[in-house]
Amino acid sequence: MNDIIFTDKQSPTSITGQTISKTNCPYCGVGCGIEATVENNKVIAVKGNAEHPANLGRLCVKGSSLHETQGLQNRILSPRIQGENVSWDEATSTVAKHFQETIAKYGPDSVAFYLSGQLLTEDYYVANKLMKGFIGSGNVDTNSRLCMASASTAHKRAFGEDVVAGCYDDLDSANAVFIIGANPAYAHPIVYQRMIKAREENPTRKIVVIDPRRTASAKDADLHLAIKPGSDAYFYNGLLMYLAEQGKLDKDYIAKHCHGFEQTLQTAQSQFSDISAVATACDIELSLLLESYQIFAETDNVVTFFSQGINQSSTGVDKGNAIINCHLATGKIGREGAGAFSITGQPNAMGGREVGGLSTQLAAHLHFENSNEIALVQRFWQAPNIATKQGLKAVDMFDAVDSGKIKAIWIMATNPVVSMPNANLVKRALEKCPMVVVSECYENTDTINYADVVLPASTWGEKQGSVTNSDRTISVHQSMIKAPGEAKNDWQIITDVAHKLGFKDAFNYQHPVDIFREHAALSGFENSHPLAEKRDKNDIYRIFDISALANISQKNYENFIPTKWPINTENPNGLKRIFTDGVFATKNQKANFIPIIAQLPKILPDKTQVVMNSGRIRDQWHTMTRTGRVAKLMTHSDEPYIAVNPDDAQRFQLADKQLAVLSNLGAEYIGRVNITNEQRTGEIFVPIHWNDNFSASARASALVNPITDSLCGQPEFKHSPVNIKSFNSVWSGYLISSQAVNCSTTYWSKIQLKQGHKYLLSDQQELGDDETILANIYPQIDDWIVLKDAQQNVLRIAGFIDNKLHCFFAASTDLTLKFNSRFIEDQLNKTHTIKTRFKLMSGIDSDGKGDVGDMICSCFQVGEKTIKQALKSGQCKSVASLGEKLQCGTNCGSCIPELKTFFT
Amino acid sequence: MANTANPRADMLKNQQCESITQIKPSLVIIGNGMATGRLLDEIIKRTPNKYQITVIGKEHFGSYNRIMLSAVLAGDATIDSIMQKPPAWYKQHNINLLSGSEVTYIDNKTKVVTLASDVQIHYDELIIATGSRTAKIPAKNQNIAGIFNFRNISDTEKIQAFAKQAGSNSKQAIVIGGGLLGLEAAYGLALSGVEVTLVHRNKWLLNRQLDKVAGFMLQSIMEQKNIKFALGHEVAAFESIIATNAEITSEDSSEILSGVRLTSGEFISAQIAVIATGITPNKELAETANIDFNRAILVNNYMQTSDAAISALGECCEHNHATFGLVDPIWAQCITLAERLCNNVQKPFQNAPVPTKLKVSGVQLFSAGDVEVSEGSQCFTLLDNKALIYRKIIVKNGKISGIVLFGDVSSGMAYFELMQQQIIVNTMMPELLIGDEFVTTIEDEQKVSIA
Repeated sequence: MNDIIFTDKQSPTSITGQTISKTNCPYCGVGCGIEATVENNKVIAVKGNAEHPANLGRLCVKGSSLHETQGLQNRILSPRIQGENVSWDEATSTVAKHFQETIAKYGPDSVAFYLSGQLLTEDYYVANKLMKGFIGSGNVDTNSRLCMASASTAHKRAFGEDVVAGCYDDLDSANAVFIIGANPAYAHPIVYQRMIKAREENPTRKIVVIDPRRTASAKDADLHLAIKPGSDAYFYNGLLMYLAEQGKLDKDYIAKHCHGFEQTLQTAQSQFSDISAVATACDIELSLLLESYQIFAETDNVVTFFSQGINQSSTGVDKGNAIINCHLATGKIGREGAGAFSITGQPNAMGGREVGGLSTQLAAHLHFENSNEIALVQRFWQAPNIATKQGLKAVDMFDAVDSGKIKAIWIMATNPVVSMPNANLVKRALEKCPMVVVSECYENTDTINYADVVLPASTWGEKQGSVTNSDRTISVHQSMIKAPGEAKNDWQIITDVAHKLGFKDAFNYQHPVDIFREHAALSGFENSHPLAEKRDKNDIYRIFDISALANISQKNYENFIPTKWPINTENPNGLKRIFTDGVFATKNQKANFIPIIAQLPKILPDKTQVVMNSGRIRDQWHTMTRTGRVAKLMTHSDEPYIAVNPDDAQRFQLADKQLAVLSNLGAEYIGRVNITNEQRTGEIFVPIHWNDNFSASARASALVNPITDSLCGQPEFKHSPVNIKSFNSVWSGYLISSQAVNCSTTYWSKIQLKQGHKYLLSDQQELGDDETILANIYPQIDDWIVLKDAQQNVLRIAGFIDNKLHCFFAASTDLTLKFNSRFIEDQLNKTHTIKTRFKLMSGIDSDGKGDVGDMICSCFQVGEKTIKQALKSGQCKSVASLGEKLQCGTNCGSCIPELKTFFT
Repeated sequence: MANTANPRADMLKNQQCESITQIKPSLVIIGNGMATGRLLDEIIKRTPNKYQITVIGKEHFGSYNRIMLSAVLAGDATIDSIMQKPPAWYKQHNINLLSGSEVTYIDNKTKVVTLASDVQIHYDELIIATGSRTAKIPAKNQNIAGIFNFRNISDTEKIQAFAKQAGSNSKQAIVIGGGLLGLEAAYGLALSGVEVTLVHRNKWLLNRQLDKVAGFMLQSIMEQKNIKFALGHEVAAFESIIATNAEITSEDSSEILSGVRLTSGEFISAQIAVIATGITPNKELAETANIDFNRAILVNNYMQTSDAAISALGECCEHNHATFGLVDPIWAQCITLAERLCNNVQKPFQNAPVPTKLKVSGVQLFSAGDVEVSEGSQCFTLLDNKALIYRKIIVKNGKISGIVLFGDVSSGMAYFELMQQQIIVNTMMPELLIGDEFVTTIEDEQKVSIA
């Protein structure tokens, strides 16, 4: 294969011992390129890589603070079995032995891997190969199931393959972008900025946001349609009907390149008497609806940009297809500035789908449904135990763990105790499971508490491997610094276990490039275009083909230029857009219209409930294990919250900025009420990030019903009827602490500071009386200052070690007080003068106003500094004149000798 | 009639001849303590020539700062340094000073005072400013050598003389009374190397000014200064031995102190005892003058006694059921009296609470108003046991009703003013407790607080 196209752009520049590496951001699905500056085994700075096609040099706040997430704090440094440090050899032997015994006794389907869109493609590939080809079970699923399964299946249904046809550049050139079920302003800031910039350059471009919430993205839209939650398919079915009515269909395109239009249109029309019925179904003004439809119909280049609001639904696949139907019907697909663009949540959600990391896929865009495909993969892998059927999808997988069908599970790079629906069931299931293996970088994940074996993994900056972002761009993450302790790369850990399971030859990898080459080779194995001249009749066509990289040199791999797949003989430099020729990956090469009967969410709220929507906030990522370490990322939103409409606040007697409790499935979520018109009545919003490491009770997913899309198994995260009530705090307050502590208050929330932590606290119990409430947490402290009132309405406690402020607690029964602890945060760990340190109890800086210097006249509280100021002013020439001006020395006269010294 | 010892007495004889009135009215002041010193200043400031002033003082000095006697005892000041008005000052201001003199009788019908020396002096306006003396304690056997009061220069010199000997052979002293004066005396003695035990009736020191927490803090600081404490005890009796050493004998007794027996039965050995349990107003002259008295000489809002020509001032007077021991209200009395005498202005005296301060090096305390929380009041405290800092503000009906500051007295006067002016402080709490400077910040940020 022609390697020359991959020129060496990765030229680490050495400036005073610093090297600069081109790598990628590990957070969202945008997949921004990064230039990282490394010095002394530490990434000291990051900036956007101007040459990366995703971000063109820009970075959001999360990516910009990547270097601040480093450090040994909370890193797992050694393998552990039942909490005891062990050698790698013992750890991997134990895992292998246990899996082997379980498989021998209960069969291969009694074990499972639960993977993550955070893994690199090589990690994913090896895990998938081990389970599906060698252990012989389909039980490999991934947190992408919670994220992309709907879109993936919708693509497969419509196009014959899970393919995102367009690319980010289309967002720059589209004349209208319909953002539905996405808040890119927060969740995908860099592509959002591209849309905004494009509109600035050409103000005739329109941004239409369809979202029940008035999100940051909605606020800046030309049109916002706050539709009823879950009514998205009604909206797009209605659009299809409108397009037909208005004669805006691309009949030529439909006839040439599509299949099933008539039935699809009829199905859409069957649900509505007219367009106004659509408006009713979506609970929006007809005029608004028509305005948006008109924009879609009359704009040549339209991109629909969709994400979790579509995917995380009991009918997410249908919603995806309802969108695609409209684009196919108007030919707004497969060309510049047009298409249905699914944006992924995770950095490598697409890479995971490429290797077959979902239990419903086999490998390399090949599936179980066709025995030829199974045979193809078996041949390529020389697999002794190729899986022949789909494995369990995430929700079913943990149900199987709970029911005891699965007896050993290996979780890698994800935190299902926080992220899964009905997360308390996951907790319970893992508690019961005889063998839980967790590969993880950080100690502070909720899932690790249930691990029998903990395997320390390397993380961003340490590990090398490839990822595929939302627009099919493959990039390579660089290993720039050494992993701490005994942490290893995930692919190595899996390989070690594979060896011990007896599969040494098939897992003989020395470097991630070895895996990548194999992955690339598989993608091209027996793969030819149906119209290709040289074609074996048994070939199975997959658009996903990166076989041009099957022999990539290590150097070119390490200096890989981000490229969109396919990357093969026909497209050696990759391919910007797919389906430009109207040829699809289906058997008849036509795109499928899918008839959709729009449906509302499965469980609707009763009169006493509200509908809980969930999502990301701007500055946090997933379960906060990494972003929660950065102080500045905690400043925008530092507490689990509940966004509530004013009507609901009144109805449930909730006060703004006070705590409220949500409950469902026996789980509770305690968050601070944020009364806002951004929410529709009857609907609340909570962030998904908080968990047991960061708050007392804020795992939103624990309240999410395990309702899934029957086609793809993706859970309905966006629509959970829950009960809501006031928390009824007796007091609230905060604790600033040098060390992380375990809080026992009914409500607490942890915030990382530059130094130490801040805990926001509240309880329904009475506020304590003195420092004994902290004594258990800080047994090493015996030096306290306590401020209180006898009625137990106010309590402030400062603890010192060697005159350094170690912790500061402040609480009040006046719940209306706002918190401002900035001053105290700055004082933490600083040495304080014993005679003046009590002033810290104010919690605020007096700006030196109170500092009069050493006290000279006790009667009138005149200090040295005040006296010196008076002398400086020149008005005071004698003790008597000082007395006239400041009163010093005019009462008991005891200070007159000292006053005289100012004049000698 | 006895010899006339001063020009005013001559004038008395010639009074009728001097009707042309070059003669000024005679203002006689009995007592030459701090109150008199201040009153003279106030009078001179207003009308330096209106009265012919005569001051009769028991001590052989001009006016001195009695408050500073404890500093003298502690060696922080000398007797010379605390002299405020030497005899020359009186001369300079044309004031007739009769030091070392005592008035024995007031005849308010003839407006004449009689001295112990039988000299008689006519007055037009008479001011009694005789102060107070140490209160008696009920202990037995007080008539022995080695028992001292701590009121004047003479007391101080005697105690100092004893302390001076302490350097060579270890000496022990008992101080009775855990109020301000007792503590200052104990501190002064301890500084001289005397082994001091302070006996106090209450469970903690300064119990009228401090609560238990502050009292114990004070005790621990004083203990670091080598003072021992017998708290919750009273002296039942002084015990003595017959003097064998001529050096320690007193004029009156051949028995000298060997120690005290407490009511608990415990014996503490000591060579001297200083009684500082409180004061008794010197009101006896009022009896001779037939003017009204109770615990002390009764005065109205203008410092007048029941005889319009006689005023009383300072520790010997009683106003509205209150007697006085601290300088602040007495200064106010001086102003009221001077206004009336000099300017004929009726400026009523208002007795305001006075913050307490202690003059012991390294001890800062400030106390005013209530000490203990009462029904319906709020109590805010700040306690730093390591720094020995304690602050307490009692709020009643939204207003400060009590202040106890120990270890750091900053903002004490600001609190005191808020208390005096009855300012509502609810919204300032608890920041105010840390310092008044924090309250303005709070107001600036409006309801943004730390908790």
